[in-house]
Amino acid sequence: MSLLERLGRGHLGDHDFARLWTSGATHPHLDRCDGCRARYDAFDAWLLGVGDELRAAADEAFPADRLAVQHAQIARRLETLERPARVILFPKAARAVISGHSHVRRWVTVAAAASLIAGFGLGQVMPLHTVVRQQSTAVAPNFTAPEAATRAEALTTPAAADSDEDLLSDDFASPRVRNLSALDDMTPHARDYVIRAK
Amino acid sequence: MSATSPALLAARAADAAAASAVKASQAAGALEQARERYSELVARHQRRAARIAYHYLRDSAEADEAGQDAFVKAYQHLASFREELPFDVWFTRILINGCLDRIKARTRRERWLLPMSGPRRSGAHDGAPDERDMTDRVAAGGPSPEQALLGRERRRQIADALAKLPERQRSVFVLSHVEGRTSREVSALTGLNESTVRVHLFRAIRKLRALLTSDAVAADTGEMKGKRRVTS
Repeated sequence: MSLLERLGRGHLGDHDFARLWTSGATHPHLDRCDGCRARYDAFDAWLLGVGDELRAAADEAFPADRLAVQHAQIARRLETLERPARVILFPKAARAVISGHSHVRRWVTVAAAASLIAGFGLGQVMPLHTVVRQQSTAVAPNFTAPEAATRAEALTTPAAADSDEDLLSDDFASPRVRNLSALDDMTPHARDYVIRAK
Repeated sequence: MSATSPALLAARAADAAAASAVKASQAAGALEQARERYSELVARHQRRAARIAYHYLRDSAEADEAGQDAFVKAYQHLASFREELPFDVWFTRILINGCLDRIKARTRRERWLLPMSGPRRSGAHDGAPDERDMTDRVAAGGPSPEQALLGRERRRQIADALAKLPERQRSVFVLSHVEGRTSREVSALTGLNESTVRVHLFRAIRKLRALLTSDAVAADTGEMKGKRRVTS
């Protein structure tokens, strides 16, 4: 018992009531002092009232119909948990165009590779470039220097085109510019073939 | 603080049986049956969960979502539930963690958002039902409009005072006083030491008392001043 209590002034306050209420203990002063007992009872009632009010406030915010809705919502969510999410393919046509089916793509790749190999093999087996060269050498005319000089002489004096026959002749068709005569010599002419055939 | 009553023990035994049945059904792949059994647990703990979430979050819509999330999460992780722990303690722990996560997210969000102009709801225990069904109450012979108004005002004062408490004190007060949990249970729920729980509870009660009595005194003084002004 404290000195204050012994002097008869040790009445309990809210602080003591809160401590007593929290610990669940009793205080000897409460048995002796009716005033403090009454105040403690009032404190207890107040505290219980606060609890009731808080419960009532929560229950008002959650009436029975709202709880029923919440219950249904929970049931729905639990049901959804068991079903895996459905994956919707994004445009099927676009996907086919972009990537194609895997087996088609594979066949195309194999065919391309096979044709490349076959082409390379054929190229090795058949000497196509030598055939082409032989043909070109057989066709090209072989000019000698005197022939070229004669032709150059002829070209320097162009004939006038009096008739259609003259127009078709080589003399008329040959260049009148001396500088171009060398180039003209290198060019095969129909006349040469005719002479050769004779 | 209430001790563990026989009714509570019986309820816990029923919970444990239901939880075991759900676990067994889940393991056997009988999911429909598992859901049906779990529905019993939901119905048994739904109101309590709503109360706790409501006092934590102080917003009925968010509390609704938090309750749903907690039940779904508990169902998903029921395999990890150990029967030696009461189901309600295990479940409440999930719920409280969810509420705390939401509070953190809300705080982060509000840090970046400008406050809305006009009267804010202030998470203030949106007591719309009082305003909504006033006519219904009068028609049904419930409390008079005056009584309802006074009750609403008192609830608002209590809610405001509770909101002024630090988070831990508020949690401990709600769990032990509103939900009637023992210090040991609150300790298991919050992860705090049992003696720390008692200290938080003591401080919460003392502070609430101070806040609510000062409010009452201020209200009385205001009323007296008003009367004086009227009479003078």
